Amino acid sequence: MSWVLFLSGMLLAGILGLSRGSVRRYVVAGALGLLGAIPAFPLVHAVGYLSRESLGPTLLALIPFAPHLVLVPLGGVLALGLAHWGGRAAGFGGVLGGGMGFLSLMAFLQGPGHLVALRPLLGLMEGLVGLALLLPFLALAWLRRRQAWLWLPLGVALGLGAFSWLNSPQGHTYFPRMAGYYKLVLPAEPGAEEALVARFNQGLEELNQVRKEIGLPPLKPIQNLSDLKEGRLPQEVAQAGYRLLRPEALSYGAVALLLFLGFMVGSGLWLLRHPDLAEASDLRSGLVLAGVALSVFPAFDATEFDLGKLVEGWPFLVNFLDRAWPPNLAQPQSGIYPLQSVASEMLLTVEIALVGTLLAALFALPTSFLAARNLTFRNPVLRVFFYLMRTFYNVDRGVDTLILALILVAAVGLGPFAGVLAMAIHSIADLGKLYSEAIENVDKGPIEALESVGASGSNVLRWAILPQVLPLFVSYTLYRFEINFRVSIVLGLVGAGGIGFFIKGAMDAGHYDQMVIGIIAIVLVVNLIDFASSWLRSRLV
Amino acid sequence: MIEVRNLSKIFPDGTQALSEVSVSIPEGDFVAIIGLSGAGKSTFLRTLNRLIEPTSGQVVVKGVEVTRLSRRELQAFRRKVGFIFQQFNLVQRLTVLENVLHGRLGYLPAWKGLLGLYREEDTAIALEQIRRVGLQGKEKARADQLSGGQQQRVAIARALAQEPELILADEPMASLDPRLSDVILGILKEYNEERGVTVLVNIHVLELARRYARRILAFNRGRLVFDGPVEALTPEVERMVYAGNLEAL
Repeated sequence: MSWVLFLSGMLLAGILGLSRGSVRRYVVAGALGLLGAIPAFPLVHAVGYLSRESLGPTLLALIPFAPHLVLVPLGGVLALGLAHWGGRAAGFGGVLGGGMGFLSLMAFLQGPGHLVALRPLLGLMEGLVGLALLLPFLALAWLRRRQAWLWLPLGVALGLGAFSWLNSPQGHTYFPRMAGYYKLVLPAEPGAEEALVARFNQGLEELNQVRKEIGLPPLKPIQNLSDLKEGRLPQEVAQAGYRLLRPEALSYGAVALLLFLGFMVGSGLWLLRHPDLAEASDLRSGLVLAGVALSVFPAFDATEFDLGKLVEGWPFLVNFLDRAWPPNLAQPQSGIYPLQSVASEMLLTVEIALVGTLLAALFALPTSFLAARNLTFRNPVLRVFFYLMRTFYNVDRGVDTLILALILVAAVGLGPFAGVLAMAIHSIADLGKLYSEAIENVDKGPIEALESVGASGSNVLRWAILPQVLPLFVSYTLYRFEINFRVSIVLGLVGAGGIGFFIKGAMDAGHYDQMVIGIIAIVLVVNLIDFASSWLRSRLV
Repeated sequence: MIEVRNLSKIFPDGTQALSEVSVSIPEGDFVAIIGLSGAGKSTFLRTLNRLIEPTSGQVVVKGVEVTRLSRRELQAFRRKVGFIFQQFNLVQRLTVLENVLHGRLGYLPAWKGLLGLYREEDTAIALEQIRRVGLQGKEKARADQLSGGQQQRVAIARALAQEPELILADEPMASLDPRLSDVILGILKEYNEERGVTVLVNIHVLELARRYARRILAFNRGRLVFDGPVEALTPEVERMVYAGNLEAL
């Protein structure tokens, strides 16, 4: 597994090198990614007695336990330094840094499991977060030196406030859960492991007796802790602050490190053959590549991305399709007419979108003029309205139609009315923002011309601005209707009626052959509406 | 009669567009304003009806101190001042007639203007001016369907529909085919001679200024450097007008 990952990294670098762009940036990206993953990503799993006691120490946290792992960050630094040197040296740095990091990491990953002691680093993460909160304000104070008197004290106050808040006894509960991030991993005192092994073997006879009674095969005595495999630590050992480190159970940090190391070696080899494949901007592009890679690894882990599950579940999909086809259009003998239901529910879905969009447009039209910077900035009263409207739009945009619908269903009950209200409220912000941006972007010439003939302000609005923006308004409204139609499909799922409601009902009842009619209808109508609306819009502008 | 005293304009970015300009223009004159681009011609014209607010100084038109007018009074003043723009500034989606009728908006109460309730005489005036600029038959055409020269003639008709007592034209031919210059200036000249209305035109083509204007004002870096009849515009004066400013191009 480890070898496969390392070789994949090399292969990826080899393929990317074929494009003949700068290869040095890949060495830089690999090294930077490595250095980022070392303190941030959990490397392997360590288990206790309860599942919530398991943790994933980072490579950095493991260095006191396995000091040779320091070669991994050193390899990254070496590669970066030599990459700065440039030419063949950069390639050499990639190969050497990646190579020694790989060897050191493999030595650890192939090693046996061990009992380790945890030393919590109290307040470390809380302090770091407090400092991180302070930083933007310091940056602001530095960028806008004229307003430093405002930003600097504000930043210090907020930073200190956050720091003490997060360092309060309950401080750690304000963080996302991060297993073992602020704990150092130390070797357990000598003899502790042997004692544990002896204890396990002692109690084995009794355990096997129990296993025999419930029909499980007996366990063999173990030589060391690695043989425990799926086993856990005894409760009191775990509570005393010990964990069983299992290097063979890779966490996503190990995956990332192996890929980065392979990537460094692969691009280093390319660079040794073609030392001229380098550019001045390599550090910057390397930073960007490493940043993207570093944000993607934890995301895949957090979303439990696993293609294996899809392969396992494939037969269920096939079974589902078997039961869904052919569609059950009508069942006269039992008085069920699914096609008719789909047609009426689809009609309702379109009608929800129509009413929702119309209401939103009616409210957005007048308010968007107040939210246009160019119309409001000459008058202090209007400027207050400008900020009010913009704030309203921004807050409203953040609350999605579905969430509004859930709230409104609670208020006005299940049914299309809640959906229409939710859609109207959310769309006001979107339309209002588009409308006001159209107003801000009008050609200023006609405004100047109408002012020069002595027309009043309202007449300038009517004759210079409105003719310019009206076609855009109609176009945006049509576009919003397209979106709202798709939204109203999903609205049915939260009980606001329409085709989504039908599909959820059919799904829950296991009537897949009825549900499939709804899906086909959606595909047809979505395309029909998109086509009609974009044709109309192309005629308008 | 236009009286300008010590007129200055400094833009927020610190550019001194006009500095201490004083000039007096008698009724019924046809004045060409010359100078390099960036010399302050456009700013000068726009401060006369306060499309640009001057920083200091006075503008008096027919005894009215323009620089002191309130917003309402300024609107009433502007309806008697026709302004013609280099970029025409028509409302592209409206028809020729609607654009020309805009020249009458200053004479209507605001609510009638909002609804487009023009009086019969307004429409009559608009149609007459469309005829004057030679666009009869195009009244119902949309402005964006016209050629550049036709659009500028619509813009002139809009200014003339105001029944102006003063016409300000800011480079009216600059974005048109040079052959159209005579058409544009011809219309303005004809109106000037027929009604005795004062006309101020920004021109960067010297030859046209000589041919049409009775009087020349020349700007260089925001200063009025020449003021006199066309005959006084000698080659030496020309050199002075266009001197030392080439890097500004």
